[in-house]
Amino acid sequence: MKAVQALLAQPGVLLVLKTLASLVGVLLVVQLARWMNLGGDVRIRDEDHAGALADEAMCGFVPVAVGLDKARIGALVRDAQGRVMLIRRHGSHFAARLLENHAGVRLDQHFLTVATGDSRFGTVTLNLGPEAQAWAASLRRLEG
Amino acid sequence: MTPDIHPVDIVTYAVPFFILAMIWEMTWARRRAPEAYEPRDTWTSLALGLGSTVAGALTAGVVYAAAMALYQHRVATVPFAWWAWIACFVLDDFNYYWAHRTGHRIRWFWASHVNHHSSQHYNLSTALRQTWTGFVALSFVFRIWPALLGFHPAMLVTVGGVNLVYQFWIHTEAIGRMPRWFEAVFNTPSHHRVHHATNPVYLDRNYAGALIVWDRLFRTFQPELDGERIRYGIVRQLGTFGVMWSVFHEWAGMLKDFAVAPLRYKLAYLVREPGWSHDGSRDTSDRIRERWRERQDGAARAVRLD
Repeated sequence: MKAVQALLAQPGVLLVLKTLASLVGVLLVVQLARWMNLGGDVRIRDEDHAGALADEAMCGFVPVAVGLDKARIGALVRDAQGRVMLIRRHGSHFAARLLENHAGVRLDQHFLTVATGDSRFGTVTLNLGPEAQAWAASLRRLEG
Repeated sequence: MTPDIHPVDIVTYAVPFFILAMIWEMTWARRRAPEAYEPRDTWTSLALGLGSTVAGALTAGVVYAAAMALYQHRVATVPFAWWAWIACFVLDDFNYYWAHRTGHRIRWFWASHVNHHSSQHYNLSTALRQTWTGFVALSFVFRIWPALLGFHPAMLVTVGGVNLVYQFWIHTEAIGRMPRWFEAVFNTPSHHRVHHATNPVYLDRNYAGALIVWDRLFRTFQPELDGERIRYGIVRQLGTFGVMWSVFHEWAGMLKDFAVAPLRYKLAYLVREPGWSHDGSRDTSDRIRERWRERQDGAARAVRLD
């Protein structure tokens, strides 16, 4: 008992123990969220939904063209000014980035791979079907 | 003579309650709104919370010593009476309002506070999504000055802990609105949902800690609107669950801007509002709201013409 008390009296020991106990609590809560299947499976319903997501990401962005991924987990939207926005699923929500150039755009038949320049946002591959080529051409018009 | 009194660590005592409340909310989410929680987001939020307690513990001594140094030069001595606890809580909540408002309006402080807002979810785990860099940002300065008036630092730390614990339960969508008298005086889930929203009408509103009266007094209050679906997070959503990036992304962005900005604009990138840029190429919350209002007015005019 005295040894335990002596150990706890050492500087930093109590903090380390409290941190480890909290970490166990954190992992249990996260695991519980997994067991409960929380998170949902969100998809972009249609072009209007993609437009609403674009407006949410950038107030006033009004799409004139929408390219929806076949699995509805991402989309490309273009407005009248020629700006192109990439929308992709992020957990049970969506996140978007305005594309600034065509570097990182790769076309493979119906699949268009787009890198945003934000490495944490990641590279997104969209299955746009036959529209993929037209979108690739439109992205090439963005500054290199 | 300085009384030898130690603060009560309210937050540590509250941890079991935090965990039980999250389990209750998850059970609610499972039945009513499974998308209210996302395990990866929960991990990020709780990892930020855990890191925040470690960072806080490592720097608490310095903050407390600074408060004690102020207390040595106090102009009066406030006793440990019941009324003094209430006065201290109200004053600390007033300070919290201004610290929080500054945390949203000055990028230096925002770089630290943004951690709390970067989740696109709004649940009890979001409440624990706290900063690791509050000490670096020096935001504690807003909270310790009452020691000069004569409030003992132990009292300040204790009421600050009570305030933090109070704010836990308001981070939920599981509670609609409280009775009107309560909504009029206290910060509530409804008021704080507005604060975490990115809808233009809601940006930079409801900075209150425990008492919403400060927002009403200083004209930053915005009620939750029934027809307006709330979207949570930050204007430029992170798009990643990475813990370290969630902690440091705004510091990294700010310092990068500082490094590349022309000399005369460098300081402005630290002290102007988030989103400010010297060439006007980015959006501040004021500009976003202005653009949104113009659209609303345009739509209203179109309806009248019809």
